[in-house]
Order: sequence, then C-alpha cells, then structure tokens
Amino acid sequence: MPSFLSVQLQLTYDAGSKTTIFSPEGRLYQVEYALEAISHAGTALGILAKDGIVLAAERKVTSKLLEQDTSAEKLYTINDNMICAVAGMNADANILINYARQNAQRYLLTYNEDIPCEQLVRRLCDLKQGYTQHGGLRPFGVSFIYAGYDHLRQFQLYQSNPSGNYGGWKATSVGANNASAQSLLKQDYKEECNLQEACAMAVKVLSKTMDSTKLSSEKIEFATVGKTKEGKIYHHLWGAEEIDALLREQGLAKVDDEPEAGEIK
Amino acid sequence: MSGYDRALSVFSPDGHVFQVEYAMEAVKRGKTISPDPQQRHPTDSSALRTGTCAVGVKGTDIVVLGCEKRSALKLQDTRITPSKIAMVDIHACLAFAGLNADARILIDKARLEAQSHRLTVEDPASIEYITKYIASVQQRYTQSGGVRPFGISTLVVGFDKNDSTPRLYQTEPSGIYSAWKANAIGRSSKTVREFLERNHQENMDREQTIQLTIKSLLEVVQTGAKNIEVAIMAPGKTVEMLPDEQIESYVKTIETEKQEEAAKKKTGRTGTTTAAILTRPGGGETAESTRESAD
Amino acid sequence: MRGPTIIKAEDDKTRQLNKHTLMAFSGEAGDTVQFAEYIQANIQLYTMRNDTELSPSAVSSFVRGELARSLRSRSPYTVNLLLGGMDPITEKPHLYWVDYLASLAPVPYAAHGYAQFYCLSILDKHHNPNISLDEGIKLLGMCTDELKRRLPIDYKGVLVKVVTKEGVKVVDFDNDRIVRSA
Repeated sequence: MPSFLSVQLQLTYDAGSKTTIFSPEGRLYQVEYALEAISHAGTALGILAKDGIVLAAERKVTSKLLEQDTSAEKLYTINDNMICAVAGMNADANILINYARQNAQRYLLTYNEDIPCEQLVRRLCDLKQGYTQHGGLRPFGVSFIYAGYDHLRQFQLYQSNPSGNYGGWKATSVGANNASAQSLLKQDYKEECNLQEACAMAVKVLSKTMDSTKLSSEKIEFATVGKTKEGKIYHHLWGAEEIDALLREQGLAKVDDEPEAGEIK
Repeated sequence: MSGYDRALSVFSPDGHVFQVEYAMEAVKRGKTISPDPQQRHPTDSSALRTGTCAVGVKGTDIVVLGCEKRSALKLQDTRITPSKIAMVDIHACLAFAGLNADARILIDKARLEAQSHRLTVEDPASIEYITKYIASVQQRYTQSGGVRPFGISTLVVGFDKNDSTPRLYQTEPSGIYSAWKANAIGRSSKTVREFLERNHQENMDREQTIQLTIKSLLEVVQTGAKNIEVAIMAPGKTVEMLPDEQIESYVKTIETEKQEEAAKKKTGRTGTTTAAILTRPGGGETAESTRESAD
Repeated sequence: MRGPTIIKAEDDKTRQLNKHTLMAFSGEAGDTVQFAEYIQANIQLYTMRNDTELSPSAVSSFVRGELARSLRSRSPYTVNLLLGGMDPITEKPHLYWVDYLASLAPVPYAAHGYAQFYCLSILDKHHNPNISLDEGIKLLGMCTDELKRRLPIDYKGVLVKVVTKEGVKVVDFDNDRIVRSA
C-alpha cells in the first residue's frame, strides 16, 4: 500500500490535471489509472494454436431484453485478416476500432494487400501513445487482444494497453481476473496445440475466472481465426448455438430449469 | 511543488523545468507498464521499477551497442520481441532506454527524416545530423504547449558516408545531445558509465570493443548472456546483430577472467596480468547501492 | 555512328527500390528521375519502418497510386515505368508495366517508348512462360539486335540488370557486337 505522503503526491499528479504528465518518479499516473479501469472490465482472452487463434470474452451486460444477434460487445472484426477483443471503456474502443478499420482499408487501397498484423497493431498503438503525450487529453481506457494472420508470421496474437505498448503472445488475457486467467493459461498452455484444443481451453479458463461455474452463450462471446481446407483465411464470430454446443461438449453448460449453478457447488 | 511542475513547459522560480527532470526519471525506470499482467497493479510501484540499460562503445574502426534485454515470459511470442535497438537508416543504429511507446514514435520520426534527407540531398544523413534531429524533436516537446517530453534517452551510432570514423552520440529528454567515446543510458547508467571511465582505452579493436561493451553491461545485468543483445556497426556495412551463442561465449570468457583475477587476489600474487579491464572491487554487488545515488 | 541524334550512353535509367524490386523509367527527362527517387525514398522508408520488404505487387500498387494522384494534380509527372521484382515469400518473379496515365498491368514482357514497336513482335514470337534466365538474356539480345538495325538514332546499347531472389545485379551484355542488316 502506498504511504499517506505518496497518496497525496499521486493526487497532485492526477486530479484536476488537464493532461498526462510525468510524476516526479517519472510515472504516468493517467495511464496507470486507465489500466485500473480496465481491470474492472469483463475478462477477454486469446489463445494461439498452430492452425488458428481463438478469442473469448465475458459479456458483462446481460439482459433478456438485449438483442442477441446484433450487439457484439467484446469482439470485433477489424480487417479481413484480423479480429480483436476489447476490455475497458466501450465508447473508447469504438473510436479505436473505427480508426483501425479505416487504416486497414487505406493500406489495402495503397498496396492492394492486407495490412500485416503487426503494422495495424502498431498504428493503433501509435494513436494510443499520442493520447498519453499530447495536451488536454486522457489516454484511451481500453486494452485489446488482436488475432490475425499474414504471410510474414502466419497466425499471430497481440495485446496492447493504454500506454501504447504492445507485445506478441501465445496466450494472453485482459480485464477482470486477468491475473488468475493468465496463470491458468500458463499452466495449461501446450505448444503445438490445435484450434479445437485451444477452444476447449478458452472456455475452461473463462469458466474458472467468471463468477458462475456454469456458462451460457448469453454470458460469453467467442471467435476464431483459421484456415479453410483450400488454404483461405477465415474469421468467424460464433453464434449462440455454436457456443452452447461447445459448452455442452466441455460439460460447462448451464442446464435449463436448474438453479444458478454457482449455488449448487 | 507549488504548481511549477504541473504546467508543462514552465520554469520554476529556481530555474527548473520539472517535467523534463521527471522525464529523466522515466528513462531510468523504463516501461510504465510491466508486460507481465500479474505485476500490473498500478499502485504496486516495485513491479514497475524495472528499466533497462543500454551501452555504446567506440573502437578504432567499429562502434558497438549493447542492450539489456528483458527475458521473455513463457507465454510471450518470441517472434515478436520489441527490441531496444532499432535502425534509423541502413548506416545509423539507435539504442534507447525509457518508455517503449515514446521511443517508437521518436524513431519513426527519425526514420522519416533520414529518408527525406536522402531524397533531397542524395546522400545519407550524417550520424550527427540524425542525432541533432532527434534531439531537436525532443527539445520541441519540452517547450510546446500541452505536451509532455519524450521519456527516453537514446544512443545513436554509425558511420558517415565514405568515412571510417566511428560515431557515438547521446540524446536526452531535454533535447541535449553530446558525442562520446563510450557511454551508458537508462537503469544504473551511472554505475556503467563509471566502469567505462575506468576501463575505456583508445584504439580498441573489434574484439576489445565488444568485450568492453558486454563487460560493462554485466556490471548491472546479473542474469548474463540471455538478457543481453549486441549490435555492431562497421564502416560501409549494415548492422550486425551478434548471435546469442557468441554473446554467451563472451560472457563466459569474461566470467572466467574475473574468477581468475579474484583467485589471484586471494593468493596475493599480483604479477603482470593480462587483464587490461579493471573490475570494480566486489563485482556486481555494489551496483545496486550506487544506483540509488545516481543523479 | 549514324543518324543526327546522339544519346547519352552511360545514363542509368533504373532505381532499385528494395532488395528485390527494380524500377526502370522513361519519359520527360526531369520528371523521370524526380519521380523515381521519390518512389525509391518512400519504399526505403517502408523497409526501415517495418523491418520488412514490400512485395513487388504491393510496390506496383503503390507506384500506380502515386502516379494516379500526380496525374490529377496541377503538374503531373510524365513517366513510363517498368517494375521488375521477385516476391521474397513466394519466390516468384513479377513484371509490371505502368504508363504515364497510371495504367498498371502485370505482363510477361514489356517495353516502353519507341523501342516497343520493334521489340514486342519479337517477344510475342519467342517468349514463353517457362523461359530461363539465359534464354531471357538471349531474347533480349535479339531485341537489341533489331534496335541496332532499325532505330534511326545512334544507338549505344543497353544496361542490363537482373533481379533474382539474391537481389539485383548488373550483368555483362555485349553492346559492341556488329549486327548486319537482315
């Protein structure tokens, strides 16, 4: 825990400040607080397999009145070769996703090729960095996990955060409980696993980090990037039936007319 | 305090520009955010207090950059490891210490300028020109409204066209730049610089230069070869990244040398030793204590 | 020597854009070099920034885009281009033809300027897709022979560069061979 003095210092470098500036220790508190905001968001995770990538995310807003098919909350397509999962402020995410989509299309227009994954991640992160350095703005309060394919590195998984840093991962997670999700991933991850195994692992990790042990398609979103038999790259946002089928297969599905599963166990 | 460190580009009554000084702290601390999610809690400052160190050393006709490299976590994709060493142009190489994201932006600007220089003047930019440009960008961010300075220092090395004089420059967040025979930036840079001051010689050949670079880094990098990367520039050539196995063999030679020396000291024999490089008494242990007193 | 026009012999009308792509140009004297070096600088900037090379097909799209933008500006470049390159990933050769109106076409062989009226018929007759490098150079010799016979200027030969997966290199080419009229 920080001492009283350091709390007071933090306030000086944070509250009421118009822009992101260095604290005396050279820290950027606004960026760190943005991360704090993200640590309350629903968990999202990504796993790299040898023949594809899976992204899975926990939906926080669940209501029977919510249109199920039209409102993706956590997973978005950003290009023909790339999808992403978000954790954090959704309004901020929308701006960034829009920016990424535009950039991907501009690259396609210029070079007549899909933008290499790392470049797209980097462009997005350069924008994020700008918001930690230029005046009068707060940083973007979103972390992303990106899954994509290009000819340079085949299947790739990235993560980025509000500071504008990014890195490549074999399996990673963001949002609430990401620490425990990460250690579960570390424990279970197998090099050379295939997409099917990765999907199974994704729901298993989610079931352990989410509040209830029994999952349903209302509570999670699922997407995969893979290669068809013809060698074409596809990405696929899973429908409710597909998710439920996977959950049943893994024995994690919530059975109807049963009290909240969490209470039984 | 009293607000003079809040407004961005303002002098305090005693003549400080605090934001610039704080940016220097960021250089020593490095990353704002640890890559390991488990250490990412913002209030836990101990997890964040991990910067890296970079060293540059000039020899007779060679210049070497050495960098501390964070070891990859188990789940990190090793194909995509952001390096602290980057090429500005084919003849100019740069190492940085500080915030990764800031560095990316600054390096990108430098690359654009380097190519733009080639287009307008038909010659590659001199290393000093590139350094000056980087420094001027950094300076601008200490004096313009509503921006914070870049939280990075850089070492720029390379050779000018048709010239075999090695060049080594340093830039700082304030926009100061300076030429060096050997220098270090980032975490524990003071310790390393002092080591270099004691051990740098004129007219070092390739082997000696690489050895001094690695040896000086080992003063503060306890984990050895796997956490070091080395880039070598020679006149008219592109950069050469030293393969891991070679770094490892250098580290081994240095360590055995150190042990031999220590053994000699114990037996009290002080003959004419071949070791030209003096190690600080007590080896790496004192590094930590001096780090705190740096600056 | 024959004919009233003398052309400069040692002019290199090509620019290497990255390790595996070479651009040849003809057209207005000032425009060509200016445009080629602008393209060269931008492609090199891409290489430096991204630590990877653009493929020949991506380069061709970029070049076409720049030329098309210039075409619709107040002072367009009048440049005809040939782009040759080896895709470093697929290791397949590519050749693109670009004219000053910014049309782009992938082609098996191409020529610009006055020369094309003499060369294309020869290439039509003798080229096939499985041609080897040596055969290609021989075919080029047939073209230059024809130029020597028929071009109404003092023709001083060609500079020959080859793009392979190892990069771009200049190859020796006998420009002094006497060619009898057919």
